[in-house]
Amino acid sequence: MSKPTSLFVIFFSLFVMSEAVFEDQVGKFDWRQQYVGKTLFAHFDSHSQSSKKLFLATDKNIFASFNSRTGELFWRHVDKAGPEGTIDILLLHGQGDNSGRLLRSWDTNMGGLNWEAVLDTGSFQAACFVAMQDTVKHVAVLKKAAISLHYLTNGHQKWVENLPDSDTVQYQAVYSGGEEEVYVLGVVPNSHLTIIAYSLEDGEIIKQVTWSRTLCVVVGHGVLMCVDTATLALYVDTLVCNRLYIPVLVSSQPHPARSPISEFFLQLGPDHHVLLQLNADGYTIAPLRDFQPSDVFPPQLYVHAFLKKDDSVGYRVLVQTQDHALTFIQQPGRVVWTREEALADVVTMEMVDLPLTGTQAELEGEFGKKADGLFPMVLKRLSSQVILLQAWLAHLWKLFYEARKPHGQVKNEVTIETLSRDEFNLQKMMVMVTASGKLFGIDSKSGSILWKHYLENVQPNAVFKLIVQRTTAHFPHPPQCTLLIKDKDTGLASLHVFNPIFGRKSHIAPPALPRPILQSLLLPVIDQDYAKVLLLVDDQYKVTAFPSTKNVLQQLQEMASSIFFYLIRSDQGNLSGFRLRKDLSTERIWEVVLPTEVQKIVAVNGKRPNEHVHSQGRVMGDRSVLYKYLNPNLLAVVTESTDAHPERAFVGVFLVDGVTGRIIHEAVQRKARGPVHFVHSENWVVYEYWNTKSRRNEFSVLELFEGTELYNSTVFSSLDRPHLPQVLQQTYIFPSPITTMEATLTEKGITSRHLLVGLPSGAILSLPKMFLDPRRPEVVTEHSREENLIPYAPEMPIRTEWFINYNQTVARVKGIYTAPSGLESTCLVVAYGLDIYQTRVYPSKQFDVLKDDYDYVLISSVLFALFFATMISKRLAQVKLLNRAWR
Amino acid sequence: MWLHVRLSEVCLFLQAMFILACCFSDMESGPIATSGSVQPNGDRFKIEGRAIVPGVKTQDWISSARVTVEGEEYIGFLGTDGSFVVNDVPSGSYVVEVISPGYKFGAVRVDITSKGKMRARLVNFIKTSEVIRQPYPLQLRSSGPRTYLMKRETWGWTDFLMNPMVMMMVLPLLIIVLLPKVVNTNDPEMRKEMEQSMNMLNPNPELPDVSEFMTKLFSGSKSSSSKAIGGSKASGRPAVKRRWCQNITCTSGLRNYCNWSCHGNYNAIFKKSFFIRLYNCFLSRVFFPSSEIQVCK
Repeated sequence: MSKPTSLFVIFFSLFVMSEAVFEDQVGKFDWRQQYVGKTLFAHFDSHSQSSKKLFLATDKNIFASFNSRTGELFWRHVDKAGPEGTIDILLLHGQGDNSGRLLRSWDTNMGGLNWEAVLDTGSFQAACFVAMQDTVKHVAVLKKAAISLHYLTNGHQKWVENLPDSDTVQYQAVYSGGEEEVYVLGVVPNSHLTIIAYSLEDGEIIKQVTWSRTLCVVVGHGVLMCVDTATLALYVDTLVCNRLYIPVLVSSQPHPARSPISEFFLQLGPDHHVLLQLNADGYTIAPLRDFQPSDVFPPQLYVHAFLKKDDSVGYRVLVQTQDHALTFIQQPGRVVWTREEALADVVTMEMVDLPLTGTQAELEGEFGKKADGLFPMVLKRLSSQVILLQAWLAHLWKLFYEARKPHGQVKNEVTIETLSRDEFNLQKMMVMVTASGKLFGIDSKSGSILWKHYLENVQPNAVFKLIVQRTTAHFPHPPQCTLLIKDKDTGLASLHVFNPIFGRKSHIAPPALPRPILQSLLLPVIDQDYAKVLLLVDDQYKVTAFPSTKNVLQQLQEMASSIFFYLIRSDQGNLSGFRLRKDLSTERIWEVVLPTEVQKIVAVNGKRPNEHVHSQGRVMGDRSVLYKYLNPNLLAVVTESTDAHPERAFVGVFLVDGVTGRIIHEAVQRKARGPVHFVHSENWVVYEYWNTKSRRNEFSVLELFEGTELYNSTVFSSLDRPHLPQVLQQTYIFPSPITTMEATLTEKGITSRHLLVGLPSGAILSLPKMFLDPRRPEVVTEHSREENLIPYAPEMPIRTEWFINYNQTVARVKGIYTAPSGLESTCLVVAYGLDIYQTRVYPSKQFDVLKDDYDYVLISSVLFALFFATMISKRLAQVKLLNRAWR
Repeated sequence: MWLHVRLSEVCLFLQAMFILACCFSDMESGPIATSGSVQPNGDRFKIEGRAIVPGVKTQDWISSARVTVEGEEYIGFLGTDGSFVVNDVPSGSYVVEVISPGYKFGAVRVDITSKGKMRARLVNFIKTSEVIRQPYPLQLRSSGPRTYLMKRETWGWTDFLMNPMVMMMVLPLLIIVLLPKVVNTNDPEMRKEMEQSMNMLNPNPELPDVSEFMTKLFSGSKSSSSKAIGGSKASGRPAVKRRWCQNITCTSGLRNYCNWSCHGNYNAIFKKSFFIRLYNCFLSRVFFPSSEIQVCK
């Protein structure tokens, strides 16, 4: 009797609401990779030989501790982004870090802050530890016009002294050799060198020496090398370089209380380093070892040389190459680990479907071709079935073979050759473009980097746009991605065409683009090779098509009158719409001017082209239908006021039709300022701003409806919509600032939508769109209950169960990318910033697939039990009947 | 006249209230004005405080935690003892939060006047001017670890047995099955007592004769059962069913699972099938609650 009931219990448990990640799902579909950025300073923990700590300070204002054996992070501190958080120098003596205006001391074991001291204003020059009798007690900080000494224990200032003649002398280095003196080196360009010795006790100037140039070696006039014979100190300074390469000296001073060790590196060329030793007599230099790092890019080297037990010199080298890869090399030139730090600054990304395997493609081919008779079709079908059977047997054999191996040896190595699409298209290729110009292909399932390609000669201020021109769906043709690289200042652009699966550059020659590019648009038109056509508009409003074959040009001519595009000139507050002519010139058809004295255009966003909307309307409580205003050409334009005064600041949202230029709606939020984050999708716009009056973040949602009747239900045309849509709006308080926002996306748009909100804490909140519904009633009525509307509450909840990345925080989330998978319920999410986090979300639960905790054992045992019970009872009944008949 | 005076009084009072409110709002808006335009050389202040996670060593959580002031506008780091200082903060009103992926901390609003006077209060985004003082320097105590993950609902026999519906079914069954064995129903005195108690429970004689049915059932008319079996063999089971259980119907209400009215003699078949029917009936009530289902006719 209990068996059917238990079935029912299971049946019900399927409908139990589950929002969060389950405990056993941790790390199952998701992964995180942590990065720190390009290294500016690196130090080896040289307290003991066995120490495996490595300290880095990077251009992303991060101070991190690494495991030098594996390259994994111990801990990491993320300071403010931008110039205010810049780390000027990193010193190491058990603890220490120095940051512009703030001097911080860190505990390297725990990663905690020891103290923080505020320095006087003035541009920072140099800093060093000052030691006395083998113990380090002070830190000297050299500013442009002053030198100050701080206690190492608590950061308090011991003394501060103005530097003499600071307006003429450029003070550049500070040094202490373990005596009770602090030396400051100053240079008067092309004249002489000044060395000032300060007393450690009270900052009194003990002696001041002015050297003429002759004592210092100036190579070209690029590098200034000075050897202080009194203290055995070696000063290297790069002034202005006009030669191709200047030899660089790298020395290491293991302990501030002692002199630098006499072994040092001389970098002779981009790929040529010599380990030298200053002999005991102090004059001659003997070469010890000549070695060349493997990388061809001019690297930045951090060398840790140490004396081994047998008095030979050992070394560990940290190489920072131009493509932001960080490589750790040990003694015999062995690469211990490599970190791709370029991924700390992902600019844009796309997810590309993986290709089908040969067999899968074969099967697909069967459906693609036109029928060529009954008999060949049957044969083809049979052959494909045989292929399938073969593949299945091979799979079984592999399983069997692997099961016999010891457990540890079985590894599922993902390589580029074994890549193939999985059953539900959940595994994809992530193509990531980084600011340094390095492209990566990452497997979305494991997070392993499958290919990388470094684009040389990319300007540091380049803007990237990644376009998927051909997906993997057109089998014999390889998929094709195009990266548009545009110089921000000149606007000159170039195209890089590549295969997103293998990362190889395509043989297709991209068109030459002599003029600055203003706008690029991907048309749904495809050429005979199934590649979508990319249109590039230059500053003379001339259009270049890529690919520009005859077929494409002909198609463009036919379609020209229905191709519209828009241009934004935010510096002029100008938004204009254009139409393509038959000769590929353009004509302006509308223009919207938002006066720049009052407000400036911050962002313009259309809808995503791959978005599907399943339902045309919403069924209301009284069974009538409220139709959505689904204008595919709608643009959301966000403006901010130029007046920053909290009483007069405002944020404006304009909804403009991109074809006609008609302003559909205009919403102005008074006493508000940016940064505005917004999402434009389906028939709604959600935006977030800062309310200056109440000092809080607010979410506002705009939803557009056509009303209860649809004007033209078959096709939407911007040119034929006489009625303006009804606009509903509601605003909510959000109890946290946000850094970025995106909406989930699924294959067919049936699944309900969630907003993915990146918070500064590094969490990614999955907020149901249901909470951002302008129809949320203040008073609950029968109808609203019927519609499942949540009653209005001013404050939006933030529940930690809604954090899709649980405790795997993503520092400085810059963007969230969502992609549909083959399952309607599942949306793939990649959050990138300093870290990269990939996961799957199920906004409406997993309704189309069995859950991963589905109890197969119970179900099958119940079924078997029932089966046997019926068998036995049948038998018993037979026996009973027989007995009765005999009676 | 009196009314007029009264009204003007009210007006005055309102005016006074309004002025008061203005004062309050002025006091509030003081810091905002300065926060809007930060002079580069204006006075900078520091926010101090201490964060504690009870029962956890500081080294286990501080390396991943930091202090944010108004989003990421100003950032402070936690010291080895959990204390923190955020330097270089101009006057204004800020929400100070300790962010740790592992532990929950409440946010505090800190107001700094242009002269550097500090005040900490609870964050209230709805009533922004409400002041509930908090200690300054800040004392932020973690309210425990964050719960990100959900526990799987595991299926165990105890959960199943402790399910109220199952309890409701199983307990009466146990009583029905076990009671006759414990109580000797053949004893006439006992039977009388039971009848009396049943009547007390069910004083209305018009209602379905549950007591009668029960007692008769318990008396276990074994003599008649064999006869009935013989009868059923002769006439086929459906006929018997139709005779004994005319209509077991399910009606609404949880307590009142099934009403029945059966007439005539009881037999073993009925005794068996009755409970199955009763159970079916119950199931249908539980799992298809909106419809009234006639289980048997």
